[in-house]
Amino acid sequence: MDIFLQQLINGIVLGSIYSLVALGYTLVYGIMGLINFAHGDIVMVGAMVAFTVIHLLSGSGLPMFLIAGIGILAAILVCMAVGYLIEKVAYRPLRGAPRLAPLITAIGVSMLLQNLAMMIWGRGYLSFPALLPAISIPVAGAGISAVQILIVCASAAMMSGLSFLVKKTKLGNAMRATAQNREVATLMGVNANAIISITFIIGSALAAVAGVMVSAYYGVAHYDMGFILGLKAFTAAVLGGIGNIEGAMLGGLLLGIIESMGAGYLGAITGGVMGSNY
Amino acid sequence: MNLLEISDLHVSYDGIKAVKGIDLSLASGEIVALIGANGAGKTTTLKAICGIVRARSGKILFEGEDIGVLPPHGLASRGIALVPEGRGLFGRSSVEENLEMGAYSRSDTEIAHDLEKIYTLFPRLKERRKQAAGTLSGGEQQMASLGRALMSRPRLLFLDEPSMGLAPIMVQKIFETIRSLEGMTILLVEQNAKIALSMSQRGYVMESGKITLAGASGALLENPLVRAAYLG
Repeated sequence: MDIFLQQLINGIVLGSIYSLVALGYTLVYGIMGLINFAHGDIVMVGAMVAFTVIHLLSGSGLPMFLIAGIGILAAILVCMAVGYLIEKVAYRPLRGAPRLAPLITAIGVSMLLQNLAMMIWGRGYLSFPALLPAISIPVAGAGISAVQILIVCASAAMMSGLSFLVKKTKLGNAMRATAQNREVATLMGVNANAIISITFIIGSALAAVAGVMVSAYYGVAHYDMGFILGLKAFTAAVLGGIGNIEGAMLGGLLLGIIESMGAGYLGAITGGVMGSNY
Repeated sequence: MNLLEISDLHVSYDGIKAVKGIDLSLASGEIVALIGANGAGKTTTLKAICGIVRARSGKILFEGEDIGVLPPHGLASRGIALVPEGRGLFGRSSVEENLEMGAYSRSDTEIAHDLEKIYTLFPRLKERRKQAAGTLSGGEQQMASLGRALMSRPRLLFLDEPSMGLAPIMVQKIFETIRSLEGMTILLVEQNAKIALSMSQRGYVMESGKITLAGASGALLENPLVRAAYLG
């Protein structure tokens, strides 16, 4: 088996998840200069909601792909609502406050989400159901599983969609304008608060998908899974230049590949420091 | 009825009283100059009218409607546009995207047509339409900012220091364009009193937050106080 190729595949899969989460950090930072430390926990909420919905429907006799689809959709909708509410309740009252205030608030929101999730779903590791059959397609001495293909394709689709939205549409033009000069964008008739809400909603939708993917990939969900994942995605966003959309995508991929290579080749030296958290 | 009617406007900015009870009006189709030294409160007055800073007291009526209570993003659709001090372009967006932002509040089908009109007015912008606005020269940026404001089809246009930092030939070009906007109501804020008064019908002189002189621009140009203070 070709270790290099296998680790490259694993790295790309992991990296596309990081990219999706990193986009949430970078979008929000770009538009309001805030590092939304609660973003990683929205990923967790996505995973948890999908877990619950899939669990509830698993006895219904519906085909698995439909159940998975409903689970993902529910996760997206709940995360969008949570993202919108967090911005409205926690960050909006702090508009114009010194930058440290929303930052500390973000950490508080993160703790709140983790503790709420712990109360709802418990402290234990939840075993996330397999969304796709565990088949592996051989590729030049390595293997790529159905879930891996799904993760890469779904990430690529969502990222192209986001790129199109931000670069080619009127809403995207307004988002970029607001990010560059909120005052002047307002004079053009842009409701900056609405743009900020939309940004949180989009970022949260991406986070929900990432949450379902990461849980489906590792087969577990846990109330504090968003912490390390969020930290890594934030690192990826900074690596790509925070506020820069392509940078976040590239940073996420790069971090995934580095981590995967590190786990494959440097495990003995680093004591698993570069391994994934599960 | 005046298009814009401001009465007893007071504005505090960072704890400083920047505007201390001014009255100002613009009739439809008029070009009015607001001149004064740096720090006199001219830009703050504009920002208060546009809702970017909240007036502490006073009334701002546009076509009889109190616009002081509107959210600031509600002014563009009513036909009010500002060319801000320092141009305020979205530097990383392209020239064309900047112009399109000017039409953000519009939903009619003539936006593309108006874009072509702006390009006819400023052929330089057409050449550079795909370029990031931040890479334009100062004069081109002023054209882009003016073009962007015109894209909203304004009925009331505020120009904040359009001559600032520009070479004399560019200043001339910009003011020629402004003069060619026949029938548009314009409030022109300028430190360059001579050029502002020479192309307006009326003028206001502002000093430390108050209007100290007002009248026909021709008369202000001849006024010994104005000559001594602003025309050197």
